Amino acid sequence: MVHNKLPKTPLPRIYLISSGQENHNKETSLLRNLNLIPGSLCCMVQIREKQLNAKRLLTLALKAREIGLPEGTRLLVNERVDIALAARLDGVHLPEKSCFPYQLRPLAPNMIFGCSVHSQESALIAEKSGADYLLFGPIFDTPSKRIYGTPQGLEQLGKLCRATTLPIFAIGGITPENGALCMAEGAYGIAGLSIFQDTFRFVKTLEQFYHIVTK
Amino acid sequence: MIPPSPFLCVITDDAFCPVTIAELALKGGAAIIQLRHKSASGSQLFSWAVEISKLCQKYRGLCIINDRVDIAMASGADGVHLGQKDMPADIARKLLGKKRIIGVSASSLEEALQAEKDGADYIGFGHIYPTYSKEKGFPPLGPETLQNTAALLSLPIIAIGGINIENAASLISCGAAGVAVISAVSRTDEPLMAARELVSAIKRKYS
Repeated sequence: MVHNKLPKTPLPRIYLISSGQENHNKETSLLRNLNLIPGSLCCMVQIREKQLNAKRLLTLALKAREIGLPEGTRLLVNERVDIALAARLDGVHLPEKSCFPYQLRPLAPNMIFGCSVHSQESALIAEKSGADYLLFGPIFDTPSKRIYGTPQGLEQLGKLCRATTLPIFAIGGITPENGALCMAEGAYGIAGLSIFQDTFRFVKTLEQFYHIVTK
Repeated sequence: MIPPSPFLCVITDDAFCPVTIAELALKGGAAIIQLRHKSASGSQLFSWAVEISKLCQKYRGLCIINDRVDIAMASGADGVHLGQKDMPADIARKLLGKKRIIGVSASSLEEALQAEKDGADYIGFGHIYPTYSKEKGFPPLGPETLQNTAALLSLPIIAIGGINIENAASLISCGAAGVAVISAVSRTDEPLMAARELVSAIKRKYS
């Protein structure tokens, strides 16, 4: 079941993932960073806070939705379509062991459904299941993804980009120094988690990423 | 619709296959199966939800999914059960529509009344007796609190927590519409017989 409907405007090429360390106290780093995004720079933003219960996750998603984000920005939440619907988000990002996009799309026909993939095989399954984009990695070594084993490397990224027509975001140890290498392999965009956690460098890093993906 | 009182609700146990437990419980006369598994992946929950929903159609029971409103919607289950830390019932109601069932866990009259206001269809009230199935941060409420709450609430109450064949019937007398169990069915050698005995205990006392 291939989902052919193209998004209204192209997906942004920079992909931000939240820290996974949000709690219910005061202002969080996610909300702080969202407020810092320059007006001309649209991103994919995934709220990925598996440690939060649904009530707190919904509260965070609603607060994030209230922020005036640059036009074209897509605000997504990890896995929970119900939270995305309740907070009027733009989409849902599905981990490899969650439901397939075609199982969930009837609940939210206008949302973006993306999938994490860690192999060629699961990428092709995700494409057949109706994914709108793929998140592939880890490309390079990164502390937050070490549990997924050895990095995939640029070669695997290139192979995957040639094997599918879907937009592929490269993730895992992406820096302003190596991001261009991913784009050269055919990646649609580049994603980061840890690198965006330094609030003082946040805007600078975004601008460096933007420079890479628009070259 | 909520089953006619008195009825048995069986909640699945993380330690056993939920589909197996569900089928045995339904054969034993359970009217509601709540799929609750905190560590399962989304795809695993979804396929269990689909299978248990099918079983519930066959045995004329209801399949209720814990916490995951999206899984309930996608799998065709009969409804959701929401804890105090899950999505608020009024928001879940907007997503689920009027036909699907929403249950809410409450451990006080205040919580129960709020859930009633938010559009819940039933209240899971407890824990009534000491229980080891879930970690609790407060002492058991006891049958008296159940009775007082039932008197002030128009929604059906499902009593939960430490319920077994000896005490189940008395809780129906206190005003509970049904009783919910985890270990009293799943952690027995014969879950089917355990469910059947619980059902006959609550029905015998009631009639």
